[in-house]
Amino acid sequence: MSSAPAPVELERPDIAEEVASDRPWLAIVWNDPINLMSYVTYVFQAVFGYPKSKAEKLMMDVHHKGRAVVANGTREEMERDVEVLHSYGLWATVRRDD
Amino acid sequence: MKVRKGRDGAVRIRFEPEEAALVRTLMEQMLDLLGDPPGADDELAAVGISDRATTPEDPVLARLFPDAYRDDGEAAGEFRRYTEMGLRDGKREAAGIVLSGLADAFGAPGGKDGAGSRAEKASRAEVELTTEHAQAWLRALNDVRLALGTRLDISEEWYEEAEGLDPSDPRMPMYAAYDWLTMLQESLVRAVW
Repeated sequence: MSSAPAPVELERPDIAEEVASDRPWLAIVWNDPINLMSYVTYVFQAVFGYPKSKAEKLMMDVHHKGRAVVANGTREEMERDVEVLHSYGLWATVRRDD
Repeated sequence: MKVRKGRDGAVRIRFEPEEAALVRTLMEQMLDLLGDPPGADDELAAVGISDRATTPEDPVLARLFPDAYRDDGEAAGEFRRYTEMGLRDGKREAAGIVLSGLADAFGAPGGKDGAGSRAEKASRAEVELTTEHAQAWLRALNDVRLALGTRLDISEEWYEEAEGLDPSDPRMPMYAAYDWLTMLQESLVRAVW
């Protein structure tokens, strides 16, 4: 991701991914050099209704680890989420949890 | 260019005329790239389904409409058949919202015959956006940045690379446009948030 100069809050480790085994499909967002860190955080809040702290943590995971699981659920739900993320220009994919 | 948010929640962007002209040109190029909507006689298209399921060859289109499955070409194709048309419509709509916002503020661009179009204002003007329209602007500006960034093969170190370019390099105007759009988008995100 690209960063315009912006203050970034420190990572909060307590908000981990809550992947339940009965929700076996994942929506994943991948790092890219074009999308802005601020925009990606904004999209996570707008699309998923996540609080800012969780949206920022996910954004930082994408930035530093190259990708992050941003949602889990049924395959249909994850395809719907990925379609919405594509409408915002994020690079998102679906896969089964393993 | 200056972005601010009023007490009423509306976002206002003040553009110099040449900035507005740049945004307009880029949005028109995006509409050209996205192509025309399907004809009314296409029955599958009427329900939002396309018969094309392959990843676009143009790297910009492949970035705007990425494969939704990395290791499953069949699933990626099916996803594309059912979603790409709607996504294209959404991107066309967002670019259209930007163009009409600019036309409201600056007047329609002067056509060759000049008939029926207001004269383009030569001074700066302000675009006023509802939250919904500001979100469409964010998406449309991001689509244009994705297109420019993909054409330039932008990396996270692009700024240093651009600084090392010869001023006469033909890519310089694209880098400048990309840089300016990045500032505009950053300001707009912060105003909308």
